[in-house]
Amino acid sequence: MTTFNQEQPQPQQPNPEEAKRNTVVDTIQQLGQTAAPAGESNIFCMTIIGQVEGHLVLPPQNKTTKYEHLIPQLVAAEQNPKIEGVLIILNTVGGDVEAGLAIAEMIATLSKPTVTLVLGGGHSIGVPIAVSSNYSIIAETATMTIHPIRLNGLVIGVPQTFEYLDKMQERVIRFIISHSRVTEEKIKELMFKTGELTRDIGTTVIGADAVKYGLINAMGGIGDAIRELNRRIEEKRQTSPGGMVQ
Amino acid sequence: MIQYTVMPLDVVMSGMEDMKDHPMEVSVNGITMQVQPINATQASIVRIISPNPQDYLNPQYSPGRVIAFQPVISNSPE
Repeated sequence: MTTFNQEQPQPQQPNPEEAKRNTVVDTIQQLGQTAAPAGESNIFCMTIIGQVEGHLVLPPQNKTTKYEHLIPQLVAAEQNPKIEGVLIILNTVGGDVEAGLAIAEMIATLSKPTVTLVLGGGHSIGVPIAVSSNYSIIAETATMTIHPIRLNGLVIGVPQTFEYLDKMQERVIRFIISHSRVTEEKIKELMFKTGELTRDIGTTVIGADAVKYGLINAMGGIGDAIRELNRRIEEKRQTSPGGMVQ
Repeated sequence: MIQYTVMPLDVVMSGMEDMKDHPMEVSVNGITMQVQPINATQASIVRIISPNPQDYLNPQYSPGRVIAFQPVISNSPE
């Protein structure tokens, strides 16, 4: 068959056997060794990028992370004995409240060590996800925007609408304060601060400030995240009776 | 449903009427990936969605790679 990419002969959605053979041949040619670099990892890595997509399919110009992908993955991570730690990498602009909180709750209740790393941005609903792990790390240049939930869609101008919104907000705030060192006063101060953001009320918290306010545990990068996760995995191996179950 | 995001809602929701260009989601050898069909027989990989970091090292599934992607003709009507 003809392909667009002439340099690389295309796999015909190869059967596993054939794919394996090809990979081995490729590895010998490219790396001069027979062992393929791919293998099983004891770390489970989830990237949460773009919009957190929940009950509504977003238009295609959005890059999305879908909760129907993440939730079963987290179930698998919890259940699979070969997986010893979970790394969550965040670069998100926010998204669906319910989906975000669902993911955050799932991460928070995993029995395995979890580390989150905020790169670029962990805005809005990304904040509860960022704090949901055992240990959270933020890159020096990464930002987190903490702002109130805005009403959208059909709004009925009655006091109950405001109460509903307040409840939604309360869910997010309560989750953040119960999973990080930040105080309720501080998070509310950041959330309702005026004059800092041009579009709205709220605060942009950058790297070191997130650590200072107690939202995030430490500043660092991927090296620190993997090191911390490995340390926690090792610690868990030591404490769990009978060692690791394979 | 409440969107809690820093992106303006009109930006998020623009193109809602025209949802044709969504990449398709397929599973190849157990790895979920998004592919964009190019023609009747081929598709290119947009991204793979896998929690195993080692899957991203597999050159067969690197983004942009063109894979054979064929509609299956079935005689039994749906």
